[in-house]
Amino acid sequence: MSPQLSAHASPAAEAAGAVGSVLASLPVSLGPGGADADIRAISGKPGWTAEALAAIAGGARGLVVVEPAAEDTAVLAAAAESAGVPVVLDHRWASNAAVDGAAAAVLELAGGAALLDSAAAAAPHTDPELLLGEHLALVFRIAGGVQDLHIISSGPRGYTAAGRLPNGAPVALQGILTRALPGGVRLDLLTADGGVRISVPDPDTARPAETTVTTPSGATTLPTIFESAHRTSWRRLTGAVAASAQTPDLPGFDHLSSTLVRFRRH
Amino acid sequence: MTNNYLPPAKPLGVGILGAGPVTQAIHLPALARLSGLLEVRHIMDVDPDVAKSVAARVGAASSSSMDALLADPGVDVIAICSPHQFHAEQVIASCLAGKKAVLCEKPFAMDASEATRIAKVSAKTGVPILVGAMHTFDPGWLAAESAWGDLPATAHTIRSSIVLPPNSRFEDFATEILTRPAAGSPDYSDLEVVKGMLRGGVMGLAIHDLPLVRRFLPAFEDVEVLHAEIVQPFGYVISLKAGGRSIELRAAMTATWQPEWTFEAIGYDAALHIEFSPSYVQAGSATARITRNGTTTTYGPYGHNGYEGEWRKLAELANGTGTAPSAETLINDLTFALDIADGTAAAATAAAALAEKVPA
Repeated sequence: MSPQLSAHASPAAEAAGAVGSVLASLPVSLGPGGADADIRAISGKPGWTAEALAAIAGGARGLVVVEPAAEDTAVLAAAAESAGVPVVLDHRWASNAAVDGAAAAVLELAGGAALLDSAAAAAPHTDPELLLGEHLALVFRIAGGVQDLHIISSGPRGYTAAGRLPNGAPVALQGILTRALPGGVRLDLLTADGGVRISVPDPDTARPAETTVTTPSGATTLPTIFESAHRTSWRRLTGAVAASAQTPDLPGFDHLSSTLVRFRRH
Repeated sequence: MTNNYLPPAKPLGVGILGAGPVTQAIHLPALARLSGLLEVRHIMDVDPDVAKSVAARVGAASSSSMDALLADPGVDVIAICSPHQFHAEQVIASCLAGKKAVLCEKPFAMDASEATRIAKVSAKTGVPILVGAMHTFDPGWLAAESAWGDLPATAHTIRSSIVLPPNSRFEDFATEILTRPAAGSPDYSDLEVVKGMLRGGVMGLAIHDLPLVRRFLPAFEDVEVLHAEIVQPFGYVISLKAGGRSIELRAAMTATWQPEWTFEAIGYDAALHIEFSPSYVQAGSATARITRNGTTTTYGPYGHNGYEGEWRKLAELANGTGTAPSAETLINDLTFALDIADGTAAAATAAAALAEKVPA
């Protein structure tokens, strides 16, 4: 068993990432620490890359970034690799452990895709760019690249975006701000004769995502995983620290970040 | 909501114009559940063999002439299930023939002037008209309507999503189909084909739920289609706004066995979610959920679907016990659908022009 790592969260990261609950659920792997803890959690609000660089310079052995905003991560990625510090980006939905199964199913069926339709719900007054970023993180994680992605409309009640899968099938994304629905996202990939549906709840509880794969022979529900996206992120990080391994998170974030920056300019 | 009714002493006689798959697989099975209230007495189709064969299933007379059916004294109410382009003239003729009520499949006209003509004839003759927007007669929808309170005034986002297998899958569950229209092989690279498919998608599929959408719009005259594209082999993705609402229309008809037909109206504090049963099969009503203040209330499912609901309503109207929808409502529903159909063509044209300008 790996030795226990100390962990510390900034107040903003604690609020956004439910760090206390996560640490309580990983009591052997992680223990409370101070500002010089082995693993540090920072909020992904604008300026997070500078904060992350400072944490690496200050001796952190691993970083969790909760819901990162669009920023250039090139300098951070180089510093993290040079220092051997793994960085995990803790996304609201994309980090859910069930997403792997859905992504694998989509990969298998995407050649016959007819439509990708996804709707995300979040509380009113949620930053629309944050919501869109978290939504796209999930879509990119599951479906890979989306071509010709563009915003159809956006405003205080949400947004609509459209794009295209590599085979030309339409992609339709919608963000909806409401208190009436639980926060979460649903993604449907419809294919010529079936499809994949995943519904991912917010990570404030361990309520499991639900994934169904439909083929001509029937529908299969993938095993439920009662673990919040936050806890999954921390487990990934402790594993990477123990293995002295880097994660693919920062390189994978480039496309999402540049997409959000492009939308911001328009 | 109850599935029971007290049949009148003598059932109303039904005449049906058009004996295609919708008549065979939807209306005749629905009417079979209402024997004692309604009785099919005459079926007309331009193909006399089809008319005769379908009529024989229910012991009705047959003809290949609308005039013969309208002249049949046993026919009290008319159902118009012919191709769209014949609807207006057949509705008008049915009213002028002095029938007790008319049910016309959607759309009941192809443009607003036709709709206005129909409304005038209906007003002059006093013959009530129903348009077969079946979901508006679904007990699940009606139960939700009685409970949703101020949601039509507060919903900011409306979504209609339809995923269906080919019609034949459910037609074959409902009946033994005599004839089917031939399927085509569209050229998806042809803009005119795309525009035609979008119009067909709106007027043939989305139109089922556009009256439901309009129920949540304070105004619809300012409808603006923001985005429209087809889904292959048939379907659409349409984004629009009207009356200050965001409206998303999705449809995909694929080879899946798994149907899903949902309608959602979402506001900051309340949301409606309805799942409708597929057409053709007698699978009962929609199930509606209304969520407000963290509490979700479910309505249904009830014992019959919207098609049976519209026949029950037609019988009420013919017996003088119900209120017909206003002509304004019918015309506005049609105008809304036509405006969206026109808007999708414009959006598809604009998207194609933009794609030509952008280097690959």
